[in-house]
Amino acid sequence: MRAYQDMVFSTAVRLTANPAQAEDISQEVFLRAYQSFENLRTSPKAGGWLKTVATNLTLNHLTRHRKRWRLFSEIFSEDSREEEIESATAVFDTVLTELETGERSALVEQALGRLPDHQRIPLVLYHYEEMPYQDIADRLGISLAKVKTDILRGRVAMAGLLAESGVGATSDRPRLPTTTRGAQS
Amino acid sequence: MSSRDQIDEKLERLVGQVLREQPLQRAPTSLEARVLGELATRARLPWWRRGIATWPASVRIPVIAGCAVCVPLVWVLSLWLAERMVSVAAGPLTTLRDATHAATSFGTITGHIIQSIPREWLVGGLIATATLYASLFALIAVGYSLLYPRSQYAKAHLT
Repeated sequence: MRAYQDMVFSTAVRLTANPAQAEDISQEVFLRAYQSFENLRTSPKAGGWLKTVATNLTLNHLTRHRKRWRLFSEIFSEDSREEEIESATAVFDTVLTELETGERSALVEQALGRLPDHQRIPLVLYHYEEMPYQDIADRLGISLAKVKTDILRGRVAMAGLLAESGVGATSDRPRLPTTTRGAQS
Repeated sequence: MSSRDQIDEKLERLVGQVLREQPLQRAPTSLEARVLGELATRARLPWWRRGIATWPASVRIPVIAGCAVCVPLVWVLSLWLAERMVSVAAGPLTTLRDATHAATSFGTITGHIIQSIPREWLVGGLIATATLYASLFALIAVGYSLLYPRSQYAKAHLT
């Protein structure tokens, strides 16, 4: 359990952005793992199994609140402007090149956690879980176009939050949105 | 590829790189204790309060066999009950149907009678009824105004 608990917890907390809920979900994952202990103990796929179960349980948990974030997703669906994307690219470039690992890690996790659900969930599924757009759309029950828009807006909003924290702040760049829309309650 | 696609792709690549390089978040120290505690709690539960998969085979097999018998039994029983209910409900349904039929017939007959009466008779009847009602009302009013005060006066003087 010790070998996998950080991975399971990270999977849950990145999707929920709520450590207490993530801990509950992680507990449930390990209780299920215990039921399949004989199979998992010697299996090289134990890590993958745990990650899949953690992702599925977290998404099931989030589905209970789905109507709320789906509504926000439907309301705020306009595309990002080109200058916003360029500015976001510059921010992430700065994050990679100028920040030390510890500082970067804290800032990125903080920014990710502040994204609204309808942007964070598809973003995490795409970048961390490496799910294709279509699978995300199927899993969340939204259109493919919506997934792409939400992920793009999530990236831009995340750059905005990083810029708000002082990353890549220069006066000659176009201003990024510094607050997320439909922020989670 | 358009310039917009290129910057979208560059942003995707950079975000992917930043997120992939993120270290795992440390699980709370309480997690392991919680899981072990929950496992211990479950282990203390009697066998019949756990999942059927963990029940002893000597109990699980008869229960499954019993369920296998019960399912067709319940099916047959519910069909029989449905048939009984239909036959029991047939009596009140027939009475209700007859009552509805009688009410409809009565309404039809009444309609025919009203239609067969000449309009003048109806108007005359209505006027006569209204006149009689007004006359009766006037008679009662006059009678009351003449008789009631006198009886009160007589009562007062007798006492």
